[in-house]
Amino acid sequence: MNDAVLCAVRTRRVARALTDAPVEHDQLRTVLDSARYAPHAGNRRLHRYVVVTRPPLLRAVRMVSPGMIQRPMAAIVVCIDWAQVHSYGFAAESPGPYIDVGTAAAIMLLTAHSIGLGAGPVTSFSRTALATILKLPAGVRPELIICLGHAATVQPPAMRRQGGPRWDELIQWERD
Amino acid sequence: MSCHAEDESVRVLDEGDGVELLVYLVTAARTQVDEAAEYAPMRLLTAAGRLAEMVEPNASPGLRPLLRDIRQGFSETAVQAGDPSRYVERLDALCRRVAEYLVCSLGLDRSP
Repeated sequence: MNDAVLCAVRTRRVARALTDAPVEHDQLRTVLDSARYAPHAGNRRLHRYVVVTRPPLLRAVRMVSPGMIQRPMAAIVVCIDWAQVHSYGFAAESPGPYIDVGTAAAIMLLTAHSIGLGAGPVTSFSRTALATILKLPAGVRPELIICLGHAATVQPPAMRRQGGPRWDELIQWERD
Repeated sequence: MSCHAEDESVRVLDEGDGVELLVYLVTAARTQVDEAAEYAPMRLLTAAGRLAEMVEPNASPGLRPLLRDIRQGFSETAVQAGDPSRYVERLDALCRRVAEYLVCSLGLDRSP
């Protein structure tokens, strides 16, 4: 069990090129359901998940998302319900709801990988345009899109940078 | 490089593709306000690559090599930090390439 989880963690990659093979409804449900198990502060359920599978709607979502390189066959839009956030007394600048978007996204990406789907997160999109396209209620703001499909054999190269720190340099043990 | 003069205007873009690109550019202007500056040329090159892809099926044979060069010039994930010494060089090469195409296609090197 632990080996399988570790293997999934280490082999998952962002899929930036997807085939036109469909994502089955059951697969979509499995990915969505996994978000329930993501660690969420206080189990407050401050997030909303919008599923998009209709091709014209997917096309419109991609149009307003400059960071969406792939052409997904399905997408899950993770939103924050800010009315709920405020009802709990969070300050507007609180990072908590955003952190929980990240934990849900990480779990869904890993789940997609574990059932053989390709997946990639997108945060570069117009919040205003996407909320309009998806008819989101006032106060519900889209924050991240999970693109889903089947990974193409050939992928664009990963983003590379020269001169960045080595992984070990990012870690501090104790006070040293 | 062979020269293909543009004798007449060719319609290369349908309305749907035009709208797609238009929406991309407008929303990219907004997202760029919040994003790292290094993404700006990347987004513009993505737009150029998408336009080249949309135009290519109906483009004249003389234009197609330029469209291919634009599409292949940069990956959609390339940023300056990936190859700091060559990034600007490659952008300049692409600029030179489009300028040479203009000189040819507009007949700018012909005697008046």
